[in-house]
Amino acid sequence: MLDVDHISFSYGARRILTDISFDVAPGEIVAVTGSNGAGKTTLMKILACLLMQDAGTVRLHGVDTLQRPVKYRHSIGYLSEHVPLYNDMTVQEYLTYRVRLKGERTMRVRRRVSEALAVSGLSGMHNTRIRLLSHGYRKRVSLADALSTHPKLLLLDDLLAGLDRPQRTACGTALSTASSRAAVVVAGHEIDEMLNWCTRVLVMIRGRIVAMFRTSDFDRAELTARIDRMLAGQSDAQEDLA
Amino acid sequence: MKAIQVIWLREVRAFRGALSCGVPVAAFLAVYGWTFVMMLRNNEGSVLQIQSIWGLSAAPWLPFLSAVLTMRLFAEERATGMIDLLMSSPIRERDLVLGKFLSAMTVIAGTLGVSLVVPVLFLPALSAPSLVPPGVAAITATALILLLQASTWCAAGTMISVLFRNQAAAAVSSLIVCSALPIAVYAAILAWMPDVRASVAWMPLLVHVYDFSTGLFSTSVITLYVATTLFFLFACSKLLALLRLRG
Repeated sequence: MLDVDHISFSYGARRILTDISFDVAPGEIVAVTGSNGAGKTTLMKILACLLMQDAGTVRLHGVDTLQRPVKYRHSIGYLSEHVPLYNDMTVQEYLTYRVRLKGERTMRVRRRVSEALAVSGLSGMHNTRIRLLSHGYRKRVSLADALSTHPKLLLLDDLLAGLDRPQRTACGTALSTASSRAAVVVAGHEIDEMLNWCTRVLVMIRGRIVAMFRTSDFDRAELTARIDRMLAGQSDAQEDLA
Repeated sequence: MKAIQVIWLREVRAFRGALSCGVPVAAFLAVYGWTFVMMLRNNEGSVLQIQSIWGLSAAPWLPFLSAVLTMRLFAEERATGMIDLLMSSPIRERDLVLGKFLSAMTVIAGTLGVSLVVPVLFLPALSAPSLVPPGVAAITATALILLLQASTWCAAGTMISVLFRNQAAAAVSSLIVCSALPIAVYAAILAWMPDVRASVAWMPLLVHVYDFSTGLFSTSVITLYVATTLFFLFACSKLLALLRLRG
């Protein structure tokens, strides 16, 4: 479904991503983890068409991000790490605006918004002004936005950052539901939490994917320990270099 | 087309409740009103008609209004990060630019409509013997040139707004461009300006307003404003596309 093939990206002379390749099938939830500056957000931005890779291709059902970007973007839902929202709107107004902007047919807009509100646990807050929401609820609104048009590919950057445990659990439930009809890529540091619902884990170090684990092949504690050791080894190496 | 409409509607609603719209519109109407009254006094008994005074009073302040209205269009989106969500949506850059540009133009058209209340409704009623109410054609022609000029300033402001995250920096840069542009474009025209236009020759762009308000249409002038507007809008969509190269 999603094919990422040998992509690289640089900011000037500084190489951010090097030869990244992986694929994601429908129904899969792939977690991308790594320490700060590993290139997770840059990778997510390339997958969301916000940045153009220097080399390589990204295809979703054969649709290339560079050749048919609008068609590609029709099939994705993206949650940005900064959770940007229009503070002057209510939750329902915002989601209605976003669903309409994504080109949903007018007769379906209300249904899509209701579904997104329900799946994100926001049904009772549809008339609340966004500026009054806490960070956790803002994240839920962003998640509702990403889920609203039933995308084939969900890209969630730092989904769990700043959320308390019940909200993390609620997000996990929403994702598990969404993954029945979509491929999901989640970037973040909360590997222990993400192992509850992801099917694969990609570990990134300095712009490269250094390991890929299928969660069904490992004991959870063992996998967490292995990933922690890899990331700690990277930190040690960085300290040695310093 | 639907995306343009959705963005336009969202931006018009955002303008409706924003201080950054209400204050400049009120300020524009105040300085326009003052200019209108001063021109009316100074030109008592002269050949200037009401629609010309209306146009000449409003035109000098349009670059300021346009710069302040357009400063937030993209700068605010970039500052808050909403630009990421817009750019990852299935819409073309040109639709995004047009939606936002048209929303600013809607506010300006509304403001010009309000500014017409005094010259069209009240003034003829107050001083009917001395002033002939302007005809629909004369008002339409003057409104056309004002909107053409405003579209150029708004397009320039929209493009400049893409370059900044800071709204104030966008507004100042936009004002500089809007001030420099007419001087650069019309500097040559000043050289062969007939005497009858000398009274408004202190600011070259007003010549077009005066000409249109007196029925002197010029397709080259219309082409100039339309082409300049399209150039800025095209440049704006290309700048947005460039954001994808380096974020």
